Amino acid sequence: MPLETEARAQIRAIVAEFRPEHGDLLAAMHQVQHHLGYLSREAMEVIAEQLGLFPAEVYGAASFYEEFRFTPPAQTNIRWCSGPACRLKNGGGIRDALLATLGLHDIPGDTEDGRVGLILGQCNGACEIAPMVWLEQHSTHRVEFVGNLNAARAIRMARTLRDGGTIEASIEEAHRA
Amino acid sequence: MPDALERYEALRASANAAYAAWRSPERPRIDVAIDQSSISNGALRTKAALERVATERNTAVDFGRVHGYGMQWVHPTVQITFPDGATVLYGPVREADAAAIVDEATGRWGAAAALRLGTITGERAGVPSIRQHPFFALEPERRLLKNLGLTDPESLDHYIARDGYRASARIFGRHLSEEIVRNTLNEAGLTGRGGANFPAGTKWGFLFGAPGEEHYLVCNADEGDPGAWVNRVVMEGDPHLLLEGMLIGAYGTKSKAGFIYLRDEYPLAIARMEAAIRDAEAAGILGDDIFGTGMEFHLRVIRGAGAYVCGDETGLLASISDERGMPRVKPPFPAARGALNKPSNVNNVETYANVPLIAAHGSDWYREMGTKAQSGTKIFSFSGDIVRTGFMEVPFGVSLAKVLEACGGIADGRKLHAIQPGGPLGSLVPASALDKLVLEPASFLPYDAMLGGGGIVFGSDRTNVLVLAEMFAQFVEEESCGRCTTCHGGNQRKTEIIRRVMDGDGRRDDEPNLMMIDRTIQFSNCAHGQLSPKSMRNVLQHFHAEYEAAMRGEDATLSLRGATRFRVAQPRDPRVEEAVAICPVAAFRGTPGARSIDDATCIHCQACTDVAPGAVVREAKPAAPRMVPIG
Ligand SMILES: Cc1cc2nc3c(=O)[nH]c(=O)nc-3n(C[C@H](O)[C@H](O)[C@H](O)COP(=O)(O)O)c2cc1C
Repeated sequence: MPLETEARAQIRAIVAEFRPEHGDLLAAMHQVQHHLGYLSREAMEVIAEQLGLFPAEVYGAASFYEEFRFTPPAQTNIRWCSGPACRLKNGGGIRDALLATLGLHDIPGDTEDGRVGLILGQCNGACEIAPMVWLEQHSTHRVEFVGNLNAARAIRMARTLRDGGTIEASIEEAHRA
Repeated sequence: MPDALERYEALRASANAAYAAWRSPERPRIDVAIDQSSISNGALRTKAALERVATERNTAVDFGRVHGYGMQWVHPTVQITFPDGATVLYGPVREADAAAIVDEATGRWGAAAALRLGTITGERAGVPSIRQHPFFALEPERRLLKNLGLTDPESLDHYIARDGYRASARIFGRHLSEEIVRNTLNEAGLTGRGGANFPAGTKWGFLFGAPGEEHYLVCNADEGDPGAWVNRVVMEGDPHLLLEGMLIGAYGTKSKAGFIYLRDEYPLAIARMEAAIRDAEAAGILGDDIFGTGMEFHLRVIRGAGAYVCGDETGLLASISDERGMPRVKPPFPAARGALNKPSNVNNVETYANVPLIAAHGSDWYREMGTKAQSGTKIFSFSGDIVRTGFMEVPFGVSLAKVLEACGGIADGRKLHAIQPGGPLGSLVPASALDKLVLEPASFLPYDAMLGGGGIVFGSDRTNVLVLAEMFAQFVEEESCGRCTTCHGGNQRKTEIIRRVMDGDGRRDDEPNLMMIDRTIQFSNCAHGQLSPKSMRNVLQHFHAEYEAAMRGEDATLSLRGATRFRVAQPRDPRVEEAVAICPVAAFRGTPGARSIDDATCIHCQACTDVAPGAVVREAKPAAPRMVPIG
């Protein structure tokens, strides 16, 4: 038995309420990611033990879903809405502008310094403010909605975050005429 | 045996008192609409501002909460309920409007006159009923949405006071057999709202007859189609309606436990459903001893994690059962092997939500709405290039042209170009079909199209239909579970070809190849693969001239990369330097006053035309002699 590290004990406490063969895997993974920001190898091993699964089964399931990540999240994530109402209003151009501004090749991706990430968003039915993105900060569990964008606004918003600006400052840039 | 109805009447008495006090409050109350759309529009900031003003002034006003009424384009909205029970709707109410709203509520009637949208209930001189707003012209009566604006969605009392849970108390009191419950649904003509349109009562019968004691009743709340937020409105707006539908379902299928599989993108719906379950358990409506009858039904919310194919019922059941959420071949059907490998029944949120209404009012009442082929009402969400984005509940069979009219038509003086019903597995229908389409599944079939779960997106002539086709091609490719090569490989190839055509590099054999890929993908195991080629097929069927034009490098909508370029039209306009500064790829060449754009560097993001419209323009690419390679 490997020594119980502090991190392991912490994860064990996070998933203590979950049971095998009870449909708890998704909930356990959500709970860990909520607290730690991602699913570490260690976390998946602990979840596996707790639920009577092999770590491969946990990783196999986790990697199936868009929402689970295996590395720490960027300080701020820009979640780009991929929905149709946004696309009709140049959502595609906004995506390309964000990628270029952040120097990324694809979604999901993080800037090298870990400041800003760009992740895929799905329509949740606030299409009256299309095109939109969400700004998400794991450390504070904060989510902001930034709508009525265009490519220029999105670039100003992303530049502000990229250059170390706050969420507030970036939203202000997005809404500047 | 204790009488379930007596238990219900006891709950009802206290609920009535609480609701009466809420409907006719001692002092005016401001209810802020709190739902995912209004929050996205800043409703929480509006609410904080209203509370700040009220505190600063120490005014005699209370605060509460409702769900938005459907008019999302004027979000955030608030309602004021006056002591006489009249309720007026206002919007959009921004932080700066807080003082006017508080004044209007507390004696300075008229302070917020400019923000009034209409009365929700009761009368106020000079304020029309909201029902007269053109957006609601096609809603003869709200059934599924009857509680919106008239209850706090987080209040069990309010739901009960408006007749909620009475039908289920009658049923659990054994005043109706399981079979009668199921037959009533079939007589009403209730079919699945998740897409496949299967009779609900019949499906319940499969689980009822399944062996063993462990039956699971499952709700498909994955609502993965972008552009559809029908299920969200039910769960955020009237969560107990879904719970009651499932409670009756538990009775009709002999299920003691159930799951609501709810997509992660709906955090507020998750919170409201979980709270509603807790409240119903505490009241003895769910749990171990339903209405004192000794019968049990335990419900849990399972939070999804962003996988579209988990909306397919077999993918969903795998996902609940701790596995990768991959769809599988049927049979076995869920009634044979479902959640945790036990017999199960899966229905969509809206399917369940109809059940309490039918149980309360009967099948004849239900059939008053809709058509012969498709009875009842349905919630639809409308978005895209329209003036009024929002949701409404209409009887099946209303004309789509009238719907577009209710939505204020196409915005910015543009023309309707494409209609997109049914999400990524749905369709692209040309504007010319508008006058022939009614909101009923059969109406879409002649166009090789599908009405689907309730999301309808209207696209204008500002966007080439290939832009939407590419979007859905990428979507179905990324969301393919990977089990069938036909689906994951076929959709990759399809996406590549569409992109090539959009970029002006189309080949002559692309069309036959697309058709071959289409035929091949249809051999995939599940409906995700089988339906995934539909939108591109629709392009070739209904928008062939547009496809052909793209092959020639032409595009009347000026939205395709391969057919357009960006050009500095007025080099001396000072805004051009703003365009230079905003360009994320430094595509501008030359010096101030003599700028040009390098088309090879430009990514066509439109930031330059955003900041310097007119000075920088997007225009058709000059025709260049072009070879069309054979293969
Ligand atoms: C890829 C795919 C995604 C689906 N997504 C949903 C969904 O989000 N919601 C839903 O109710 N049904 C969805 N369905 C249909 C379900 O498989 C199933 O038919 C439905 O949940 C049955 O409920 P109903 O009979 O009440 O319609 C989807 C099907 C496929 C193939």
